[in-house]
Amino acid sequence: MFHALQLETVDNVATVVTEVDKGTVLTVQTPSETLTITSVDSIPFGHKIALASIEQGGTVTKYGRPIGRATSSIPKGGMVGAHNVEGRRGRGDLVAGRGASK
Amino acid sequence: MNTFLGFLRPGDMAGTRNHVLVIPAGRVLSIAATRVTNYVTGTKTAITGGGEVGRHKRDRERVACLLTGFAKNPNTYATIVLGAKKGFGYRETEAYNLAHEIAKAGKPVEVLTVEESGGLERLVEDGIAMARRFVHDASLVRREPVSADRLTIGVKCGESDATSGIAGNPSFGKAADLLIQDGGSVIFSETTELIGAETDMAERCADPADAKRLLEMVYEIEELAKRTGEDIRGINPLPSNISAGISTLEEKSLGAVRKAGTSKIMGVLEYATQPRKKGLHFMDGWMSAFSLPMSLAAAGCQIAIYQMGGDVLPSNDPPMLAHDNAVVAPLMIVTGNPRTASKAPRSIDFSAGAIITGESTVEQMGEALYAKILSIASGEVTKGETIRYSDPLEPYYLGPVF
Repeated sequence: MFHALQLETVDNVATVVTEVDKGTVLTVQTPSETLTITSVDSIPFGHKIALASIEQGGTVTKYGRPIGRATSSIPKGGMVGAHNVEGRRGRGDLVAGRGASK
Repeated sequence: MNTFLGFLRPGDMAGTRNHVLVIPAGRVLSIAATRVTNYVTGTKTAITGGGEVGRHKRDRERVACLLTGFAKNPNTYATIVLGAKKGFGYRETEAYNLAHEIAKAGKPVEVLTVEESGGLERLVEDGIAMARRFVHDASLVRREPVSADRLTIGVKCGESDATSGIAGNPSFGKAADLLIQDGGSVIFSETTELIGAETDMAERCADPADAKRLLEMVYEIEELAKRTGEDIRGINPLPSNISAGISTLEEKSLGAVRKAGTSKIMGVLEYATQPRKKGLHFMDGWMSAFSLPMSLAAAGCQIAIYQMGGDVLPSNDPPMLAHDNAVVAPLMIVTGNPRTASKAPRSIDFSAGAIITGESTVEQMGEALYAKILSIASGEVTKGETIRYSDPLEPYYLGPVF
């Protein structure tokens, strides 16, 4: 059994498929193997866990493609979600000059 | 070669259903179409929440594409067009013009008007009498085995959550690949949800002209998004997507396109228009559950599939956003989320949730889903078809209005 799924080997996040408490040792199914990682946050079903630390401004990769960039640094085992990652496409707020992104 | 039991139609087509369609030529005729279809079993109509009045030609043409598309769909046996009087209203949605276009499909089509019937109530009476005759005639057509290459299915994903891109959409994508290997066709849409995945999709187009048009569609909608002055996050992905684990539009898009399987894209379609080839097609369209399924039916899909995430839906048979929104095509609701499947057993036709629990694979679930699709094509009713659902549908208009 696995607690999280990494979809492509280049992804720096995995999707958790169970409710995860802070400090849980998770089994992550990758395309080729299983590995373990300790959560540093509580993570709800369906949200993402960082498989490696991600710097502020760093690219978050899932499905082998960029899904956005980190708005703050995210530690390995941390939750990755709308609170710390932003999209780069369709950003009318940036056009209007009100975006949070640098 | 897989087969299904279908109703043979002119032009080497086969229906999965055998409906008599009553369409209002203009929104003012909706009241008559509703009365006729409420009274006569075996009939369908399409009531839209926004009419054609005060709209640009290209939007009036969209209404006409929808109405004539429902009539040409192989699931329709015959069509009655209800109009005010000959020549009334905009040319694109005038009753006789609609009937002229519908007649090209080689199936029965008749026009009734308020003027010729002698009033709105007489029109309803005439419509009821004609619909009852057509329903009886339709009953004389019997299902017979036809090869799966006569099947076109459409798909939208909705209430997307983290399972959508991992289980639900990939297993549908596998089923789509299997149908296409059998010579059939699949249409996917939702242009906004190509943003972030558009280059991968363009590379899969067999014809470079289609790749160019697909990219144009995506960049046009992204440009409109930028002009709102808002971050598109909050419009799409929706708040319910975000709370279910989808953080950005790019993430939603990359999960959404998993429903397109791995086949080559053989055509890129304008809104509510029919493919000219077999195989996988992308159609420009708006993701609304009250809009897209009917647009897929107008494009000729004989089954519309709503691939649902649904993790944030309330428990205990939550209300579905769609039940019978594809007009003449049955709407089949599937999910890849085991929690949704257990919450909504009265609405979900198929669950690929065993992928998430590690009990099954995308390949196995895709094969099982394809078998279920062929069963529904052959006459098994979807859970949505067991209720009389009616809610106004929304054409995807470009605007503006005047």
